[in-house]
Amino acid sequence: MEFLRMFSGDLINGIILGAVYGLMTMGLSLIFGVLKVVNVGHGAFIMVGAFIAYWMFTLFGLPPLLSAILALIVGIALGFFFYYVVMKWLLEAPELSTLLATFAIGIFLAEVAKAVWGPDYRGYSWNVGSLNLGVTTIPMAKVYALLSSIVIAVALYLWFKKTRAGNALRGVVEDKEGARVCGINVEGYYALSFAIGIGLTVMSGVFITLFVPVGINPYMGEVYTIKAFVIAVLGGLASPWGAFFGGFIFGLVENGSYAILGLIPGVEPFSLTQCLAFAILLVLLLLKPEGLLGKK
Amino acid sequence: MSLLELKGVTKRFGGLVAVDHVDLVINEGERLGIVGTNGSGKTTLYNLISGVYTCDEGSILLEGLDITNMPAYKRAHLGLARSFQIPRPFGQITVRENVAIGALFGTLIGEIGEDEALEIGEYYLEKVGLYPKRNEIANALTPIEKKLMEVARALSMKPRLVLLDEAMAGMNPKDIDRIVEIINKIHEEEKISIVSMVEHIMRAVVNFAERVVVMNQGKKIADAPTQEALNDQKVIDVYLGRFALEEQNA
Amino acid sequence: MNKGKYYPLFVAIGIFLVLFIFGKFAQGMWEPVALIMFYVAVGEAFNVFLGFTGYVNFGYVVFMGLGSYGMALVVSSSSMAGLGPWILIPGFLFAAIMAGILAAGVGAIALRLRGAYFAIATIGVNQGVKFFIEGAKIWGGSEGIIISKPLKVALGPHLANAVTTFWADFLVFMIAILAAVITIVFLHTRLGYGLIALREDEDAARVMGVNTTKYKNIAFLVSSILAALVGATAWCLKTTYVFPDDVFALSYTVDAIVIVMMGGTGTLLGPVVGGLIYGILKYWLGILLPGFQLLILAPFIIIIIILFPEGIVGVLKKRVRGKKLEKFIA
Repeated sequence: MEFLRMFSGDLINGIILGAVYGLMTMGLSLIFGVLKVVNVGHGAFIMVGAFIAYWMFTLFGLPPLLSAILALIVGIALGFFFYYVVMKWLLEAPELSTLLATFAIGIFLAEVAKAVWGPDYRGYSWNVGSLNLGVTTIPMAKVYALLSSIVIAVALYLWFKKTRAGNALRGVVEDKEGARVCGINVEGYYALSFAIGIGLTVMSGVFITLFVPVGINPYMGEVYTIKAFVIAVLGGLASPWGAFFGGFIFGLVENGSYAILGLIPGVEPFSLTQCLAFAILLVLLLLKPEGLLGKK
Repeated sequence: MSLLELKGVTKRFGGLVAVDHVDLVINEGERLGIVGTNGSGKTTLYNLISGVYTCDEGSILLEGLDITNMPAYKRAHLGLARSFQIPRPFGQITVRENVAIGALFGTLIGEIGEDEALEIGEYYLEKVGLYPKRNEIANALTPIEKKLMEVARALSMKPRLVLLDEAMAGMNPKDIDRIVEIINKIHEEEKISIVSMVEHIMRAVVNFAERVVVMNQGKKIADAPTQEALNDQKVIDVYLGRFALEEQNA
Repeated sequence: MNKGKYYPLFVAIGIFLVLFIFGKFAQGMWEPVALIMFYVAVGEAFNVFLGFTGYVNFGYVVFMGLGSYGMALVVSSSSMAGLGPWILIPGFLFAAIMAGILAAGVGAIALRLRGAYFAIATIGVNQGVKFFIEGAKIWGGSEGIIISKPLKVALGPHLANAVTTFWADFLVFMIAILAAVITIVFLHTRLGYGLIALREDEDAARVMGVNTTKYKNIAFLVSSILAALVGATAWCLKTTYVFPDDVFALSYTVDAIVIVMMGGTGTLLGPVVGGLIYGILKYWLGILLPGFQLLILAPFIIIIIILFPEGIVGVLKKRVRGKKLEKFIA
């Protein structure tokens, strides 16, 4: 009974974390969907968001919900910057070039962060009460993260489906040449998608800090890059909505398997959970590369 | 004597039947023309013969050997070679190396080394008139030169049967004549079967083919010696009729 | 003509020889030379797969890691201590076998994927293996394996010291030569032609008679085993420890990609030149601006990708085409 109580607590936490994971991956999928570029430096942008949240909170007492907006703006600016300075020149280049370039951008950001903040782990705590659900108690901060993630995902969805810009972007994803013929500024939409993708990613970094009490560090990104890959593949790699739901699945599997693997004596359940994630990744890539929710 | 035999070959994509129960015999040393508009199923037919796709129904025999489910690369070893509608050179390496790859992996696979392969390749580059360009990177060739390089690459495989894809919109008549002339000369010297595929019945076919197969909507609607096929009422109705209409509209 | 094909190999070995003599006889230069040779070998091994197939194996480091585990497991197993210096032979053998088994498995599965999907899958393999070792607590779990003591027991303190200060690096030279020989053989045999064809256009290559599945698996296997040999000596024997966090660090894959790209993919001399420049640059920046190497290298990498995607040897090869120097550059 004790296990079941713990297990259901883990699952609830998994759903909440999953929403943030989903948000974290939407940018990656958006960029892959539009530019066909896998952003291997994805996690570094999450790190940037985390440091924005940390800095704003410790310097000005700004609550994370507000710094999320700032992070979005900073992220969009970074996105435009890196698009025009780097990505624009590599659109026709082989895969290798973009993989390496985005990795180099990630390294660069991490090293800048190290030069500014040093290599130590940092953290802060935003205490705004908690919610008692019987099986487990959840800090309100995480509840806000859950709600914000859903709101942002829905907003993006509406923008994509209901606005002219969103329609044009869908055109670009489906048929680049066709869109060009129809007078759509394809390059402009590349820049915009890259910027929005990075903006979402930096913003998600703010919410990530609410789950890792002292996990803010220049090199924190790598593990999120890899988690985002798994989630993106779950959702079909090129679909931001698929990615959002993939986030929930991943959050559930991660937290749920943690509780179960913890029952095996003599192992380190945290690492085994990660290992399981990659096993899922490989099986999925093999059997259903179009994603769990994708159709052929 | 029949070299290649297709029996009731069928290929579907979703609900669309791209190739519909086609029977076809290609004889040893024959020059065959396949004619059909875009979407008539001729490219799919090529892909089925060369092994890019596998048949949903029917069978393909090469000199009596069932190759229906044989992977593409093994068919190449047995003597099937082809060119592509849009040329697919190995872009970053030289023309000479491109053609040598043909020789190394064709019917002579395992029997010759690098140097011999390069020699064979150069021989065919000479034949198609690309010898002076042998040290260029393949991507640097003009479209027509790429086309010719593919012919040389296919011939370097020392094949029994070459499938050429000449359906090239916008190619000018002079270039067509040049290619036909080269192919006819090669046919005389090599005595291999050559199948050439074009979109419209034009002088390319008339000057080249001994026999013509006409495809329409996945089906074979005519299969006869060239002049006879051109006079076939069905062909005129279905094919030339439409062609004439297109001409009028253009 | 026939002998001329192998001239670039002599150029490569000549460069190694100069480096070796310089490192051995110039005061305090052995360590930097060893670092450079490590990068050269890593680049060469990586190039055997990337350069010939165009597939990006982002999880390349997992094979270096497994190789160093293979060596560590043999050296630290008490049943082998009686072999003396010969223990290194089963060590390398075991390293190669472990990497080979993983490569055969991963190859059979992941090589069916193309492009970004393959790159992501290989990252997954690397992380999966690392977390499995840590999670299941095999081979010392996250604590790793330390072999300084068993190495001393097996070889005696004097020889063990010589291994870590000289022989481990010397073996890297040997692996670099082996990789160069393999590369030139690839370049001039049917295998290499088939691989290049599949790199340029996989579907066309199949129709032209190339058994693409078999060929890319061979290249993957060879590249992985070479990586394992490098890991076994340059990491395990040289440092006498194996920590999962170190030997599965993705940054080594990136080092390898940078070296190969900078030098020129699919060429023999590319990884040699690339490794040389990268090693010197890293070493020099480490002295000049300690702690800031990566900050400077990252923009440098981006500039190279955008401006010189063919790499130094790639550009050089174009320049010398039809000239006397041509047969020395490949």
